[in-house]
Amino acid sequence: MKIWTMTSSIRKYFNTGKRSLYLFVIPITLYLIFFFLYPVVYEIYISFFDFSLGSPKTFVGLQNYVFMAHDEQFLHSLVTTVIFVVSAVSAELVLGLGMALLLNHESRIMGIIRTAILIPTVFTPLVAGLVWKALYHPDLGVISYYLRLLGIPIGRGLTVERSTALFSVILVDIWEWSPLVAIIILAGLKNLPKEPYEAAAIDGASSSQMFRYVTLPLLRPVIVVALLIRSLDALKVFDIIWAITGGGPGTATTVANLRIFQVGVQQLRVGYASALSNVLLVISVLAGVFFIRALYSREYGGVQ
Amino acid sequence: MITPTSRLRGSLLHSARILAIVIIVVFELFPIFWMVTTAFKQRIDMFVLPPQWIFKPTLANFRYILSTMPVGRWVLNSSVISLGTMALSLLLGVPAGYAFSRVHFRGKGVLLAFILLTRAIPPVVIVLPFRVIMQRLGLFGTRTAVILIDTVYDAAFTAWLMSGMFASIPVDIEDAALIDGCSPVQVFWKIALPLSKPGLVTASLFTFILSWNDFLFALTLTSPSTATLPIGMLSTYGILKQGWTYMMALGCLAIVPPVFISLLLQRYYVSGLTFGGIK
Repeated sequence: MKIWTMTSSIRKYFNTGKRSLYLFVIPITLYLIFFFLYPVVYEIYISFFDFSLGSPKTFVGLQNYVFMAHDEQFLHSLVTTVIFVVSAVSAELVLGLGMALLLNHESRIMGIIRTAILIPTVFTPLVAGLVWKALYHPDLGVISYYLRLLGIPIGRGLTVERSTALFSVILVDIWEWSPLVAIIILAGLKNLPKEPYEAAAIDGASSSQMFRYVTLPLLRPVIVVALLIRSLDALKVFDIIWAITGGGPGTATTVANLRIFQVGVQQLRVGYASALSNVLLVISVLAGVFFIRALYSREYGGVQ
Repeated sequence: MITPTSRLRGSLLHSARILAIVIIVVFELFPIFWMVTTAFKQRIDMFVLPPQWIFKPTLANFRYILSTMPVGRWVLNSSVISLGTMALSLLLGVPAGYAFSRVHFRGKGVLLAFILLTRAIPPVVIVLPFRVIMQRLGLFGTRTAVILIDTVYDAAFTAWLMSGMFASIPVDIEDAALIDGCSPVQVFWKIALPLSKPGLVTASLFTFILSWNDFLFALTLTSPSTATLPIGMLSTYGILKQGWTYMMALGCLAIVPPVFISLLLQRYYVSGLTFGGIK
């Protein structure tokens, strides 16, 4: 009886107004606490231990972090990550902007092209990586064949030479994601107001001046969002590098993600890998905060 | 005034434009073209240089992979994981998105920030502790483990996307139904959900594709019997050595669902791709 009145009063509470909608966020909250927050907290905790899978863990304090500061391989992988993200994303922005301007015409053929160039973005990244690996193959690859035919020196092969390996995986990222930037900018172009152009035309602006002083500033918010989405995702790159070079030759294409995977999953040094992960965690949380602030401050997306 | 030189300049610019578009299309589509043609080539044809673009197509590669590799199991595993992730993500994310767009509560900002942060955290960071947790729960090596970690990212994505979609539905209709005596849950179920079909389509196809294309989580959490298509494809790499024709045939099978779905529902795909930014 007592329980019945209690549940009925709870029911009455939730039926008033829209309070019952609070219940809608409980499942996802619990889910994220258990499967997202808990792993992250556990990882921070375990980074203070010497812990290899299958053996007991011992508390070592900051030893993992001290070791990390002298870990040439990891520090090098951070540098590689920065080079990868900065060059891939800036090339994608430039190329994506170019694509958007070229394809910004309403016609049947343009519509088909806009659709077709989106295919790389939906391509299973590992499959894309294996395809490019074959194309880059030093002896039998189509790319190697044509480059040699053109008389371009590629040494033993683009992915085999230390000097070109990183560039060759960056090119694949550019291939995969420039169309995304183009689509975001195309949407921005479609929503541009007409008035500034009319005013500029009256003032006698040339088409290149219009682009420089009207189009680009108006597109800025859209470009910022594209930049952030791409930076966050480029920071996560794993599949294509894994497929094409596996991080080699040597450590030429080993980005931080790959290094952490090698230490944590292949060498099973979970404690140390966790310490390395935390560096990446801090970097990506900072990048994520920028992303969130940009989403909230620009007129973009569904933020109320 | 149109002078002959300016006309010449105009047509030159036009040609340069077309040339640039052609280069872009070739750059973006050549690898895909190469994969598909290689999948239909005889093994001898594929090592011929210069590459032969006209050749007698064969289905032998598909026949070979289907008869010698557990392709059916890989497809089944990929499908179960993708559909499971999709269902669980919608179940968790859609109601949450609705609540975000309709009510204010304490901690809402924190929760939203948390949801967006999932987008920023590299999978490799979370997969290590996740693996330890799955081992403790006895779920390591199961498809469930992959569904659970895929859902972290995909449910968050769905909640974010749907909150934007629901926000664009006018609340007037819902308020009228509330006054008529519907409970908020009924309003959600009978009015808001049917009105937000585009969002639901976007969320479904995107969670499916994200999960289908996953490699890292499957690599760290599956066992041979629960391997997905990308893992299967990778496992053949060593065995087949230069067996590109077989591998590309496998690749064709792997990319059919995501490419087909995204082309068929292109508008929704673009919307998901831009995090709900383009509706």
